[in-house]
Amino acid sequence: MRQPDLVADVDGILITEDQIRTRVAELGSQITADNAGKSLTLVSVLKGSLPFMADLMRAIEIPVRIDLMEVSSYGGTATESSGLVRILKDLSSPIDERDVLIVEDIIDTGLTLNYLIRYLRGKNPSSLRICTLLDKPARRLVEIPIDYRGFTIPDQFVVGYGLDYGEHYRNLPFIGVLRPEVYTAT
Amino acid sequence: MKGPSFAHASEAEFARILDYYGIGWDYEPRAFPILWNLDGKVVESFAPDFYLPELDIYVELTTLRQSLVRKKNRKLRRLRELYPSIRIKLFYARDFRALMLKYGRIGLADSLSGAEGQATPPRDPPSAIVRPRVVGDPAPGAPPPALPGGELTTAPPGRRARRRRGADVEAAT
Repeated sequence: MRQPDLVADVDGILITEDQIRTRVAELGSQITADNAGKSLTLVSVLKGSLPFMADLMRAIEIPVRIDLMEVSSYGGTATESSGLVRILKDLSSPIDERDVLIVEDIIDTGLTLNYLIRYLRGKNPSSLRICTLLDKPARRLVEIPIDYRGFTIPDQFVVGYGLDYGEHYRNLPFIGVLRPEVYTAT
Repeated sequence: MKGPSFAHASEAEFARILDYYGIGWDYEPRAFPILWNLDGKVVESFAPDFYLPELDIYVELTTLRQSLVRKKNRKLRRLRELYPSIRIKLFYARDFRALMLKYGRIGLADSLSGAEGQATPPRDPPSAIVRPRVVGDPAPGAPPPALPGGELTTAPPGRRARRRRGADVEAAT
């Protein structure tokens, strides 16, 4: 892969840092209001949702626990031999009889999240809800009931605020559209 | 167990993705009649590539060039008109490419798009590719139906368009 250029490789900013900050605060308020008197377990799916998780948890004003999961992605060399999705990092604590909120960076096809929902339901949480920063419905294959949605975005390849291409661009503070030349050149 | 013989390499790749995420699928399990002749015989049907039973959705992949996609779009429109309760998702070449980009396999998408994707040899001889029989098709072994002449209808039997003298085609109920 060519050396990434964090400025030149981005075609434009789709969602600014300010817009993200405002929307995350709104989501936090909504989640707080909907779950008043309860405590939540936030489950973040590595790696892309880390910045969103870090900001969202601080915008929620009820008690929360956090946990992290990582799921292999199709095409990853480490998993091709098995041909099946794998849990690379499982929950650290049980979630049975807990109210769980999955925190995702983006939902497009819904394939990974569909797998994760089935997996977590098997752990008998009291409730299981979904919060995603970005929703790209044009790519949806599996319908996912989204409880909290930050932004609905067009069918473009986006990076930044945790989202990567080839493990780069995650540290951009905004959501930007990657220039097609970047991925056609690799 | 031997899997189906896919007509296009992109279909095999899509099946591998579904397998990876534990989504059950059937390959071309059903053909939907979309055009009949005035005798009520099916002259055109549409068999979506995949059916995902748990999600109750059909998926049609088309990695063909845009000029060849129009025909498929027309079929899809007819399918949606005639079978409004059927859920179907069409994956164009750009959608498949985006899927491959997401999984870091953009190079593979390029090699599977268009006519090049057809070059992948099937696991079985071509003659083993069996298209599903459609409602209205002759039974196996029966002589093939006569090719349709100029009179075709997109209305299913029972709601067939009929030509009246001096009048345009109308739908008979």
